[in-house]
Amino acid sequence: MKLYLRILAIFLIIVSLLLLNLKPISSNFKNFFFLISSPIQKTLWKAGNKISIFFETISEIKNFKKENEELKLKIQAILSENLALKELKKENEILREALNLGLEKEFEFKLARVIGKDISQDSLIIDKGEKDKLSKDLPVINQQKILIGKISEVYQNFSRVQLLTHRDISFDVKFSEKEIYGLAKGKGNFNLSIELLPKEKEIQIGDKILTSALAGNFPKDLFVGEVKKIKKLDIEPFQETEVQPAFDFQKLDLLFVITNFQR
Amino acid sequence: MIKKIFISLFSSYFLTLFQSSFLVKFWPKIFLPNFVLISIILVNLFENQKSNFGIFLAIFGGFFLDIFSENFIGYYILISLLISLFIKFIFKKHIQPAIKLRYG
Repeated sequence: MKLYLRILAIFLIIVSLLLLNLKPISSNFKNFFFLISSPIQKTLWKAGNKISIFFETISEIKNFKKENEELKLKIQAILSENLALKELKKENEILREALNLGLEKEFEFKLARVIGKDISQDSLIIDKGEKDKLSKDLPVINQQKILIGKISEVYQNFSRVQLLTHRDISFDVKFSEKEIYGLAKGKGNFNLSIELLPKEKEIQIGDKILTSALAGNFPKDLFVGEVKKIKKLDIEPFQETEVQPAFDFQKLDLLFVITNFQR
Repeated sequence: MIKKIFISLFSSYFLTLFQSSFLVKFWPKIFLPNFVLISIILVNLFENQKSNFGIFLAIFGGFFLDIFSENFIGYYILISLLISLFIKFIFKKHIQPAIKLRYG
């Protein structure tokens, strides 16, 4: 009897397994189990996701550090490249402006960058020197054809530029659209004045001052500045004016050293 | 008996789900050990050899493995049942007589 039951049970199991493997029954049967298991599976799947991500993160911390360092290096390289490009753009703009004014037709010049400023002495240091064939007393202008000063000292790779407001600088000037000539003298601290102006000449505040070719120190018709104050004393034979230099000391960056001009 | 059937049914069901939905996350690239089969083997090895729990676990475990796998229903049932019966056979024919001989 017991053997008979066993054989019957095995037979039933085999038959039911065969039935369950029939195509429509099999898919429906599996579908039923998937349906009832899906909430548990979803929960387990999410939990597994979170935990595996946690462990993956831990195992990849070393890689993150390396990757982070590599990215930092890349950012630094890009930043410095960006800065270089900005500098080139600025230089390009200045050169374009200079070309528009026809500087290259009038003069031979070298482009120099300001690398230091000495405010107390009205002087600058530029990055061109003897190696670039610069010499003492060469005039320095900016891209707008404004006179900045002249080279006072030349080193091998650098030069010192005295601004036109420096105490040691004096040069001939003329008033724009007027036949008035005078001697411009640096007073230090960014002050410039014009002396030896005949008293009878009519000068007004705002008159524009240009360089004159009389002494031959500087090329003619470079813009110097505007009259900001007029001093006229009855006891003196000449009148004196204070001039506001045309250049902005804070914005001096790229300059042109004129190496050759018609005197 | 019924208690054993229910325990083996539910434990094999949850073990299969745990394996197919949770443990797969930790072995995504290399082969995943079949924890259901491992537990069937361990239960059959360490349970009281007079107990049928290992057999039930093999049947239900195999059944749920078949449900959640691509194989036909009966594939894992057959494998796990054969493993379970083989272990029981080895215990009955070789290990238990050896123990009896040694310890009386």
